[in-house]
Order: sequence, then C-alpha cells, then structure tokens
Amino acid sequence: MSLVAEAFMNQLAAAEPWPENAALYQQLKEDQILLSDNASSLAVQAFLQMCNLPVRVVCRANAEYMSPSGKVPFIHVGNQVVSELGPIVQFVKAKGHSLSDGLDEVQKAEMKAYMELVNNMLLTAELYLQWCDDVTVEEITHPRYGSPYPWPLNRILAYQKQWEIRRKMKAIGWAGKSLEQVLEDVDQCCQALSQRLGTQPYFFNKQPTELDALVFGHLFTILTTQLTTDELSEKVKNYGNLTAFCRRIEQQYFEGHDKDNSGTAAARSAKRSLLR
Amino acid sequence: MAAPMELSCWGGDWGLPSLHPESLTVMAYAKFSGAPLTVNTINNSWRTPKGDVPVLISEDTVISQPAKILNFLRKQKYNADYELSAKQGADTLAYIALLEEKLLPALLHTFWVEAENYCSVTKPWFASRIPFPLSLYLPGKMSREALNRILLTKGGPPLYSLTEVEAQIYRDAKECLNLLSKRLGTSQFFFGNTPTTLDAFVFGFLAPVYKVCFPRVQLQEHLKQLPNLCRFCDDILTCYFRLTVSGHSPSGQDTADANLQKLTQLVNKESNLIEKIRLSLFLCRWMTTFVRVHSTPLES
Repeated sequence: MSLVAEAFMNQLAAAEPWPENAALYQQLKEDQILLSDNASSLAVQAFLQMCNLPVRVVCRANAEYMSPSGKVPFIHVGNQVVSELGPIVQFVKAKGHSLSDGLDEVQKAEMKAYMELVNNMLLTAELYLQWCDDVTVEEITHPRYGSPYPWPLNRILAYQKQWEIRRKMKAIGWAGKSLEQVLEDVDQCCQALSQRLGTQPYFFNKQPTELDALVFGHLFTILTTQLTTDELSEKVKNYGNLTAFCRRIEQQYFEGHDKDNSGTAAARSAKRSLLR
Repeated sequence: MAAPMELSCWGGDWGLPSLHPESLTVMAYAKFSGAPLTVNTINNSWRTPKGDVPVLISEDTVISQPAKILNFLRKQKYNADYELSAKQGADTLAYIALLEEKLLPALLHTFWVEAENYCSVTKPWFASRIPFPLSLYLPGKMSREALNRILLTKGGPPLYSLTEVEAQIYRDAKECLNLLSKRLGTSQFFFGNTPTTLDAFVFGFLAPVYKVCFPRVQLQEHLKQLPNLCRFCDDILTCYFRLTVSGHSPSGQDTADANLQKLTQLVNKESNLIEKIRLSLFLCRWMTTFVRVHSTPLES
C-alpha cells in the first residue's frame, strides 16, 4: 500500500470507535485449522484481549480465501477488513489503542526485532513441520486442510498449498534442512526468548505488548497441539519460564470468558490444557 | 594449534574486501575474533564444493552458511561473543532476524533486480570475474534467484505488482535502518566497545549498500542520513580491514590504471593489426610486381 493509501486508511479507521460486533475469521477449529494458522489466530485474539477490545471468533471453511492477503486470521471491523497481526496492530493503533506506547525508541526496536525472530524462526519451523515433513503431511496436514471439501478438491487444494509452501522454503534456504536442524533452530529461538523474558512477568516488564501476544500464540499452540511426535513441544517445555508465561496469559486473558467464545474454546480444541 | 582454515568467497571493490554480504559477515567476524583465515577470492560459485558462497574449508570439513561457519569458529575457540550476557546473546539473534527479514530483500533488489543497477554495475562486475562462458549464465541466474526470493517472501496479495512490492520492501528497509541507528546510538559497537557477531552481520549487510556506487541509490541516500551507522562502517573498515575510509582513491586509482592498461593493449592490438594489414598489402603488391616482372610475355 502506498503512503497516501495508508494515511487514508488510518483516517477512516480513526473516524469510528471500536464496534460491538467486531468479528475475527479463521478456519474451522475442530477439523480444519492447522498449527501455524491456529498460532497466528491465537496471537491476534490475545492481542485484542490485552487491549480490552471485544471480538467474536467466526469459523469459516473458506476464511483463507476471504482474507485480503490470503492469510488468516482477519478481522472485520465496521466496514473494514484487516488481516495478519502487523496490520491489525497498526489498525488498532489508529483507533487509539496501543500496548507499546510506553516503550522508548530502543525498546520498540527490540520489540520489533523479537517479533521478526518469532516470525522468521518459529513460524517458518511450524510451516516446515506441517508441509515439508512427510509423516506429518500424510497423517495430519492433508486430511485436515481439505476436510471441508469433497474429493478430489480436497487433495488438489492440499497439494497446491504444499507446492506453494515448498517453493517458499526452497527460496529462503530451508528446503535443504533436516527435521533435526529445524528442531534445533526452534530450540535456539526458545532459548533466546527464555533468556530475554528472564524472571519478568512480560517481555517489557509490567505491561504486555504485541510481542507477548505473538509469543503466547505460538508457544501455547505448540504446547497444546497433538502432532505425530512430541519433539516440538518438548523443546518448548525445556524452558520453565516460557510455560509459566503461557499459563499466566491463559489465566489472565482467556479463563474469564464465556465457554462458547474465543480463547478457551480455541485452547481446548487441541484436547489438552496446560492446567492439568 | 588449530588446523589451517581457508575461506572461499567473492572478491571486493570500492574499498570493501568483498561485495557479497554473507562473505563480508564471515570475514568481519574472523577479524573480530582473531581467527587466522586465508581468504581465497573465487571466480565461480560452481567451483565451491556445494555451490554456496562463502565456504570454509578446514582439513576435511566443509561448512557453507554464515551462521554455521560462525558456530564452527566459536567451537575452535575464536569467540567474539565471550563477554556478552545471555540477554545480549538473545538480542543478537533477534536483530539478525530483523536484518534478514527487513533489510535483505531491499539489498538483493538494489544489487540484482533494479534494472539500471544490475546492467551497469552488478552484471559487468561479476561477469568480469567469472570465466567465459559461465559469465554469460551465472549473473543472470543469481539475478533470477534474487527476484524469486523477493516475490515469494514479500510478493503476496494485497501487493499485486512489482512496483508495489518494491515500494514496500524499501519502506521496510528504511525502517530497519532507522531501528538499527536508534539501537546503536552513540556507542562504538552494538554491545559496548568490542565488536561481536551482531556487529559482523550489520557490517556485512550495510557496507555494500554504503560503499558501492550505483546509479539508483535510494537506500544509500537514506543510510547516509544516519551518521552513526556510516561511522560504524568506516570504523570497522579502518580498524580491521586497513583500507582507506574514502574508498575511492585506491580502487579508483586501480580502476583508472586498469582502464589505461586495457586501452594501451587495445591500441597495441590495433596497431599490430594495422601493421599486419600493411605488411600483407605490401607482400601482395610485391608478389604481383614479381609475377609481372618475371612472367614472360607470350610471344606470338
């Protein structure tokens, strides 16, 4: 989007307050949604909860195709549609709500760098596991991805998406990596996050920011999703402060909600809970 | 005593030891940590064992990506991050991810995709260092790979045309440069007074943008407005690579000398050619006069 278009969108966004009927669209929770999309969706839900903005989660099989950027989740607020965490944060900021206003310039730079780290390593590792590891692809991804559609459409769509993701992995140099190397990268990323978090409640001490929402979305999904192996979640469980962080955010922002609403239902969709 | 280590990478110009960001990163880290590396400039990425550049060869081990090469050097006890705290180590990883996501696409675009830059600077430079006939093929291949990478990582909807993608990646790159400048502030290196892995990566990405003279330079102009980053690059070049700061004089002189040499050779060749033509014309004339003089007319 050019600068002029962006300024125009911000003007439009600022004109109206946050409505009651804002909706967040994602794929079907029980049968269709995959690890990476669930993580992104949970991150956005956590962010909106942290900003105290009400949103209801709507599950549609074709959410990916409805989205303006082709990625889930996207929010429908008033008469505007915004997808992905980055643009949603900008949109919410234009409406006057922001979690990172209290940070100084150096801290903002750090926050952006850590968000890129999560996107670069954790999200790419999730995509790799889902689409490039043959066992997972066969047993989990293909059945889930095409589940709302009849044969042969389900197979065609799944193969199309797989081809697209594998092309991207090849372009960024991840195609040659083995699963062990990818898990090692995940471990390195979790170690960095754990060291940055330390003993603080949130990454920037007292107040949560969009980085906390993003990290929660990814780590919680990894911890609570059943895959063919437990190796990925074991890597995260090695770091006690990260699991405590996820538990804290789940309790604070998702426990107090209605059963048929956003977070807790999403959290339980993977049939496991952190609080055992 | 550690085994001798050899690094194969692309050569340099415009005052830089190498034009390739990843090669530059590894060379800078080796200087910071005191690792004794012999640097071989290659003229062809197909000569390296895996086709990747840069490549470190030490006895029997061949290692090919910057992150892995740096890990190997650390295991050999050449560690520039010795004094960093755990949090600073984590920050290093985060900032490297920021560089790769936000700055690398624009860097690749400036070098390999922007038509004027590619045709007038990058392609001739690489083609002159790669032997014929690969020089006709390799630069084009590297350019296509760069464009592919940019489009696959940044080019999805709602950006539908190449100009929109370009605008977005340059905006991201300028924001990244601003963030780096704020993080560096007034200190000499990113983590105090000694350079570390992060300094090597930032130097590797920034120095080519800063020094190489392109016709289309929007990223370079933005970088020049951030004096602390320019000072950072110049400091590393003068302290660790012992090259002049301006960068124009020695290589400028070198290119002038090289041009002069090429011109003289051409003139020599031409004069040789003229001589040969003159000689052959003379021989022809001599042959014809000889034949005319010595041929006996037919007497009727």
